[in-house]
Amino acid sequence: MGAIEGILTGFEVAFSWEGILFVLLGVFVGTFIGMLPGLGPISAIAIMIPITYGMDPTLALVMMAGVYYGAVFGGSTSSILLNAPGISGTVASSFDGYPMAQQGKAGKALAIAAISSFAGGTISVVLLMIFAPMLASVAISFGPPAYFALMLLGLTAIASLSEGSTIKALISAVVGFMIATIGIDPQTGTGRFTFGSMNLLDGIDFLVIALGLFAIAEVCYLVMNRHKSSAGSGKEIGSLKLSKDDAKEMSGPVGRQSLLGFILGILPGAGATIASFISYIAEKRIAKKPEEFGKGSVKGLAAPEASNNAATSGAFVPLLSLGIPGSGTTAVMLGAFLVLGLEPGPMLMGDHPEVFWGIIASMYIGNIFLLVLNLPLIPYIARILTIPRPLLISLVLMFSLIGVYAISFSVFDLYLLLAFGVIGFLMRMFAFPAPPFILAFILGGMMEQSFRQSMTISNGSISIMFENNISLVLIILSVLSFSFPIAKSIWSKKKVS
Amino acid sequence: MKKLLALSIFLLMLLFLAACGGEDTLSNDDNANDEDTKENSGEDNGGWTPSESIEMVAPAGAGGGWDTTARMSAQALTEESMIDQDMGVVNKEGAGGAIGWAYMAEQEGSNHDLFVSSSPILLVPLNGQSEYGHEDFTPIANVIADYGAFAVAEDAKWDNLNELFEDMKEDPQSVTIVGTSAPGSMDHIQFVRFAKAAGVDITKIKYVSAPDAGGVTQVLNGSADVFSTGVAEVAEQVRADKLKVLAVTSEERLDGEVLSTFPTAKEQGIDETFVNWRGFFGPKDMDPAAVEYYENKFKELSDSEAFADVRSNYGWNEMYMGSEEYKQFLDEEKENLKSILEELGLLE
Repeated sequence: MGAIEGILTGFEVAFSWEGILFVLLGVFVGTFIGMLPGLGPISAIAIMIPITYGMDPTLALVMMAGVYYGAVFGGSTSSILLNAPGISGTVASSFDGYPMAQQGKAGKALAIAAISSFAGGTISVVLLMIFAPMLASVAISFGPPAYFALMLLGLTAIASLSEGSTIKALISAVVGFMIATIGIDPQTGTGRFTFGSMNLLDGIDFLVIALGLFAIAEVCYLVMNRHKSSAGSGKEIGSLKLSKDDAKEMSGPVGRQSLLGFILGILPGAGATIASFISYIAEKRIAKKPEEFGKGSVKGLAAPEASNNAATSGAFVPLLSLGIPGSGTTAVMLGAFLVLGLEPGPMLMGDHPEVFWGIIASMYIGNIFLLVLNLPLIPYIARILTIPRPLLISLVLMFSLIGVYAISFSVFDLYLLLAFGVIGFLMRMFAFPAPPFILAFILGGMMEQSFRQSMTISNGSISIMFENNISLVLIILSVLSFSFPIAKSIWSKKKVS
Repeated sequence: MKKLLALSIFLLMLLFLAACGGEDTLSNDDNANDEDTKENSGEDNGGWTPSESIEMVAPAGAGGGWDTTARMSAQALTEESMIDQDMGVVNKEGAGGAIGWAYMAEQEGSNHDLFVSSSPILLVPLNGQSEYGHEDFTPIANVIADYGAFAVAEDAKWDNLNELFEDMKEDPQSVTIVGTSAPGSMDHIQFVRFAKAAGVDITKIKYVSAPDAGGVTQVLNGSADVFSTGVAEVAEQVRADKLKVLAVTSEERLDGEVLSTFPTAKEQGIDETFVNWRGFFGPKDMDPAAVEYYENKFKELSDSEAFADVRSNYGWNEMYMGSEEYKQFLDEEKENLKSILEELGLLE
């Protein structure tokens, strides 16, 4: 069975009227779920599993895949409008999306997000289609030392992630690291910093922190500054239209970060969240005007949006070609395969080409649907900003609380959310940037685990980090990335003198 | 315009709440079947029958083994009209099950609350991470068995379990074992049990925990040597000639085209087995009549064709034990695990 033949079978499935219907259903549910803070694709797909029992497996999986990438597509909406990330993969989208919306350009911000997401999704599906069988080896090429080096590379950017005091950014990052160590340590099986509380044994959910530090802190800030007329109600939505300059500015980051996001998405465990952060940092690093980032930069929004959608397609590489689920959502999808009577694994492509290629082919249609669904809705969705500020604030508060409760059904998490809201507000008051905190939290957990796995494997010898080509290259890049800004400032000083 | 907006926001909230609540009721639409089945109920069990809807707790998040068992069982029980009350599956996720067990401990004496558990209900309390263990609940019935497998890369130097253990006897530190869960939990302990039976110094075994499916990745790329996991996790990799299985933990060879090619440890002369059983429990002090009722229903479920399909889809094996037998089995299993954890220094 040739690959071309398989691809054609896939398109046949995806373009049948049932195929189109189920893709549409999937992406619609996905967008909706994504927009609501807290509720993510994992729970949506898990709820769908018993419903799809007995259905045609390809159609069911096409729909579930649609929910997954649809949620990543839709998740940016609440990040941009309310500073309340819809899902963890869209936290980085609020860094520039929210300021842009606050400047009366909500329409433009949503349009940039939608178009970047569409481009990221589509570019990565093309890559997926052409390279999926070959990329299987990439997915398993990273051992623990390589993961450690990758996380290290991400962390070298902490200082450059925010403006202002480097010391404050570092303090913020260290606190993020500390929070990441809470909970059962997988390498020893003992609880750390749980203070005997069962609620902390699993650590703190990323979304609790993100919603607290961003959404709740923003609510506190708006309430404290309610007499300033600048923020909040009476916002202009602005035109949806992107100028030629905007399009030009977007094209670079979208192209680069779709590729980077896709590759990071392939790696099990990395996923859309880490991809969006690393892309944001990478784009800021190479930008001519990095000072614009965080203040409503077009590039700063386009980069994570292209990246997280590309990473979502990337996550299908290990799932479809190896049967390895790299994230919570793909793990649930793996379960769905089993319920539908399929064995996900290296043999799937040969045994069930219609499923393998059907899912991939359906993503083209899914991405087009998402764009068509989302673009015309923007003026209506963005109007949420025109509601009076007291009402808007209570809405954000309510959605954040329900969203967090929906993750774990735990009241304890609600207190945590409020605590992180207060922490976020205080950080803002004293000019401690929140992004380094968030970045250290998401990278820190994985960095620590892969470091300790490496040390166990090597019987404690640090040389394991340099024995493998991938980790060696990444470590060299980390050193360069770390020393580059220092070298640059020395160089520019010399030039002045 | 404003009214319209307010209305649409209200609708949105409603939908959201409905989505959240959606997890709680699985089978409201089964009410239609009620009338047909009412006559049957009570016939086969003169004593107790449920008088309200039954809550089935999965002490884990959506999508995992416990959750699937709970959802699939509840679906089969209601759709096949074995139980004519609604069964709602509730996820009480967290702390390896401890959150769910603590919740169930509060339901003491209830006859309408059930939950799913497996080996962790023995191991987690032994690790000191749960106040409650199986002694604090009423074992009702076991329905499923899963078996473990020890897999290595296709081109690994070991072809059977004895060759691996010979190397490990010489230098336990030369081999890295990888599993999904933390030391002291299932993936680790099942390997330790067999290593101990073969005479390896188990205190020196090098074990790495790799969540997010990192285990199979690490064995495939050579970072780790042996993957200790469930049989279902490796079957497809073996079929694709990526991994080979040195041994499965079952008493006899398993059924299935691929599975039957896996040798047991027993046939290689290592007298040890490990089963990851999975079954249903009720809260403490459940009415004995209710226990008997559920015991019968789970027997019926286990024997049903619908559930046989579910088992074969997931690669689960049938393993029914009634309440008394189950309790005894659990007590013995716990003693056994306790002595191993003690030797490893992991007992809290």
